[in-house]
Amino acid sequence: MWSKKAAAVAGGAIFLTLAGLIRLNYLFISAGLVMLTFVVLASFLDVWMPKVSIRRETTSDNIFEDGTMSVKFIVKNTGLGLGFVEIYDSLPPQARIIKGSNYTLLYMKPWQEVSFEYTLKLPIRGHYHLGPVKMRVKDAFDLFYNERIEDTVHSFSVFPEIEILEYQIIKSRSPKLLSGAMPLNVIGSGTEFYSLREFVPGDSLRSVNWKALAKKGKMMVNETVREDVMDVILLIDAREVSAVGGGKDTPLEMSCRGAATYAKQLLDERNKVALMIYGEDVEKVDLDRGEHHLFKILTALSSITPKGNLKLGIVLKDLLPYIPSGSPIILFSSLDDDFTISEAFTNTISRGYPITTISPSSLDFEEKMNRIPVEPLLIARMERENMVSEIRSFGMEIGDWKSDESVNTLWQGG
Amino acid sequence: MEEIEEKPSKIPKIGEVINYKDFFGEYPIIFGIKIISSLALVYVILEFYNYHNPLDSLITKYARGAIPGFKPDPAIFVVWSFIAGFGFYTFTLFKGKYKFFLLLATVILLAQYISDPALDWQVGEHVIPTKVEIENSDVNQTAWKWKPISILYDDTEGSEERIDDTRIRVSNLIFGSMAFLGAFGIWKRKGWAIAGSIALAIIIGFLHSPNLCLENHDADFCGYEVKEQERTWDEYLASGIFIGLGFIIYIELSYAAIKYENYAEQFKPAGLDISLLTDVQRKGVSRTLRTLFVSYLMNLGVMLIITFTLAEVVINVNDYLATSEGRIQDSIELQGPYGIVFTSLIFFMLLGFVRMFIGADYDTEDT
Repeated sequence: MWSKKAAAVAGGAIFLTLAGLIRLNYLFISAGLVMLTFVVLASFLDVWMPKVSIRRETTSDNIFEDGTMSVKFIVKNTGLGLGFVEIYDSLPPQARIIKGSNYTLLYMKPWQEVSFEYTLKLPIRGHYHLGPVKMRVKDAFDLFYNERIEDTVHSFSVFPEIEILEYQIIKSRSPKLLSGAMPLNVIGSGTEFYSLREFVPGDSLRSVNWKALAKKGKMMVNETVREDVMDVILLIDAREVSAVGGGKDTPLEMSCRGAATYAKQLLDERNKVALMIYGEDVEKVDLDRGEHHLFKILTALSSITPKGNLKLGIVLKDLLPYIPSGSPIILFSSLDDDFTISEAFTNTISRGYPITTISPSSLDFEEKMNRIPVEPLLIARMERENMVSEIRSFGMEIGDWKSDESVNTLWQGG
Repeated sequence: MEEIEEKPSKIPKIGEVINYKDFFGEYPIIFGIKIISSLALVYVILEFYNYHNPLDSLITKYARGAIPGFKPDPAIFVVWSFIAGFGFYTFTLFKGKYKFFLLLATVILLAQYISDPALDWQVGEHVIPTKVEIENSDVNQTAWKWKPISILYDDTEGSEERIDDTRIRVSNLIFGSMAFLGAFGIWKRKGWAIAGSIALAIIIGFLHSPNLCLENHDADFCGYEVKEQERTWDEYLASGIFIGLGFIIYIELSYAAIKYENYAEQFKPAGLDISLLTDVQRKGVSRTLRTLFVSYLMNLGVMLIITFTLAEVVINVNDYLATSEGRIQDSIELQGPYGIVFTSLIFFMLLGFVRMFIGADYDTEDT
């Protein structure tokens, strides 16, 4: 292919030659012909251009938000030619390069193998891909080049950030002692030994460890691991209204981070967790447990896009018949633009489902972006506080999640 | 013990005033390429004007209407325009307020130079404010007078001469614009300026009309006496080849400087300078650049020799055909410019034919 430089030199040369003919200027003609000869001769140089093969290696298939991924390119000249090779790896627009560059200019000698590396960071969850790789092999004078698009696409997911929680998320009001029960690593009624402690009045004599009494000379009782299984439903509001703000500062992004953190903690405690996302319609990841299930949940969280305007009342009315009775529901929603909230809560509680709400405040984002004047903002805040109070009046827990708070400090404000 | 605070020096460091690193570059070889490229530019423009007397240009004809004393001399304006271009580049190296101060100083100096003959500064009558009676008044009225300096306009002609002289000097930039742009392009690494300088050369060459000067002025003014200059078309052709090669060297070297600088750039940590590289890394880059440039120069040298040889053959083959025995010598205009272009077209057609068999194969895509 012709480079801009070759086109300019050849165009100038042709113009010089033609201008020489018009003006009968021999100097122009010969200068133009010399330049044209140079360009034509340079077109033969592709015989000596390097033949390049390329391979991409990455450190991981998936990363978490703000995590880094190293990408390494191994470029090999499989021919006898030499020259410059430009390599450009297409990146998603959200990617930030923190080390190296996704573009490089290499000088390749015959049979030479070189590698270059760059590290990128993706600040926001989603599914992305690297590539295709654009490769340009140039002649010595940058007049002609061969361009190739290598279809090496590397797909990967960026999962929402997970925090290590320092508190117990939820305690089921109806622990179920089942045959397939899993120890919850909390002290309670169970069969598996947990620790020894001193006898206190009220302890059953059945739990006294007589061997320990003989050894230590004082009454000691066995503590056992409480075994129960909770089916926890994580419900995420992914309506269009949840995308208020920008970048990572939206209720939806906060909800995803919160849900990922909760899912990790609950699954680590061997609970069964289901994920339900409502927006345009309801998407579900069914109840299950284990590492593999966490991966499924994280993948689903990465895929969420804000759309639709399905109301909570309708969603819960449809879902409740399929949720095991008494299972706690954790709702992640900014509670904006939904007139069915009170009705939905009343309905859910009356059917025996404890519902905990974690509500990222969209008003903080509006305020940050100066989109809302002071007075309407004040009124909106009062309305929100009223709604929070109303939900609390049902006896349910609600966390008013401020934009600069972490998941860990969410409940600290009471 | 009291801590002695080190006061920051009031004299700014040179790096805060001017980005001198941009001038020297980070690798001596790139600096060298720029110098060679600058020399090629000056050579090619001088050679170009040797065959395109600015006095024979349509530009001069019309420019003299607006600027009567306009008489461009390549021996003067080429070098000075190059210096002006380089000076402009140096100006762009100054940082922030220093750039403004320099501009202000230049304007003030120019104004002082122009106004110097016209203005004469003298000590005024009333250096200290004094109460003076107003003349020709009926009542004895007084007023405060204070005139520490008197400005006398004593030689306005001198200033006008200087204005004309400055205007004529500056107007030389019309022809010197390609040297100006070229110098700026080479040192500032601006591809558009390099391309612009060549485009200007073509335009200026196109507006050249041999012996146009003699139609409007006498031989003394034009610098030559006879209507026809004693140059054969062979000389024109030969010099055209050298000018063409000169342009190629200028284009190639100035773009090479940009290319190698970009190449070296990627070894730097993003947004930072070379000082963060270790000595070993720096020497490594320097060595790579040297190897590349030597290889590039060899490529360029070989290509220029082949280009020169082929261009000589192409341009002179019709001369041989026209003077050899046979029917071909009777063909119309074979020795003229059309003949040269015609034989060149045949040559390029033959090269195109050869190109079909030599070169990389490209796989065609199935649709």
